[in-house]
Amino acid sequence: MMSKPFISISIRKLVISLLLLISASASAQLKFFSIQKDSIPFFRGFAVSFDVVGLAMMELSDYGQYEGALRINLHDEWFPIVELGYGKASHTDDPVTQIRYETAAPYFRIGIDKNLLKEKHGPYRLYAGLRYAFTSYKVDVSRDTFDDPVWLWDTSFGVKDDQCSYHWLEIALGADATIWGPLHLGWSVRYKRRIAHNDGTIGRTWYVPGFGVDGDTRLGGTFNVIIDI
Amino acid sequence: MDKQLKQGMLRKSRWLCVVAILFTSLTISVISSCSSIDCPVQNTVSVQYEIRDKAGNALPLTDTLSIVTTRKDGSDILLDITTHFSDKDVILNRLTGESAFSLPISYSHPEDILYFCFSDSAKTLVDTVWIKKDDIPRFESVDCSAAFFHELTNVRHTHNAIDSLVLINTSVTYDVQTVHFYLYPKTGN
Repeated sequence: MMSKPFISISIRKLVISLLLLISASASAQLKFFSIQKDSIPFFRGFAVSFDVVGLAMMELSDYGQYEGALRINLHDEWFPIVELGYGKASHTDDPVTQIRYETAAPYFRIGIDKNLLKEKHGPYRLYAGLRYAFTSYKVDVSRDTFDDPVWLWDTSFGVKDDQCSYHWLEIALGADATIWGPLHLGWSVRYKRRIAHNDGTIGRTWYVPGFGVDGDTRLGGTFNVIIDI
Repeated sequence: MDKQLKQGMLRKSRWLCVVAILFTSLTISVISSCSSIDCPVQNTVSVQYEIRDKAGNALPLTDTLSIVTTRKDGSDILLDITTHFSDKDVILNRLTGESAFSLPISYSHPEDILYFCFSDSAKTLVDTVWIKKDDIPRFESVDCSAAFFHELTNVRHTHNAIDSLVLINTSVTYDVQTVHFYLYPKTGN
């Protein structure tokens, strides 16, 4: 007879705790998405940027990309962004497999960054963001004619203009700082996740414009020179 | 006061520049050093055969089976079924007591001609098998050797020791678990 009130009290406490938790979480979510109220105007202008890491990769390895971005500044808090690039790979002298791989295609990413710093209007920004990215590209894979290992027939291997496509998401974490006037420098680390793909007729693809090497590390990075316009 | 503030900002900016340059170098080195070779562990493409009796049960060979093919240079080679993947030289092979075996398949020739030689102590019976196929180049990565998958399109054979050779699965890939042919020997051989 005495146990009923205890159970009822426990359930009531649990329900109240859950409601408090949900309301706290909801208010935190609302706070995250709300715009800070102050005298600074909502629209703060555009910024253009280009990535130095992709350029360096292009110079130092068989692949890389030229990439630029246009970013909208909403109250120094939210930054919708479009990134456009041109990725290229030219792997032509593999000493072991002798396989040549060439591709070159544009790609884009679209997404949004959020400034996580409390002091939104200062010279520094710390971002977290999300991107959706897509590229449609053609690959040439080839190898010089070689002997079949058993039958010894002359064997040619490869495809030309094999049509492929790739969709992926990126989670970005980055920072930028005002250096002088409209000039900023910023970097970002990206975690990439493929969501859909078409590898063409030959099995798999190697370098995907904008994504990097398929099946390799999912981490990437950019170092941006940014100019407010 | 303004001058001090400006100097402070300038110091911070320089410091940020140094950090940014270090970060860029680190990012490039991490990205270039993180590349890995991503080739399949099982990278042999071969045709799987299973010998069966008329009831559909696995039938271990009582005779000795050797298989010969014709190479580009015109020489007939005997393929050692147990070691042919590692040695392309001519090898005499004798398979017995087994009910399953695998054979290589030519990379890009439209038809493979195989001679199945069944031997016992008294005689050798030879059957010729013609396997037609489409060859599909298979690319994994620039780090992996060129490979071919195949689509078997037709098989025909003589009937000295083989009763029938039935094509079960047409797709030949890295999968070594999939049986492609059921081989039914003639009873009494």
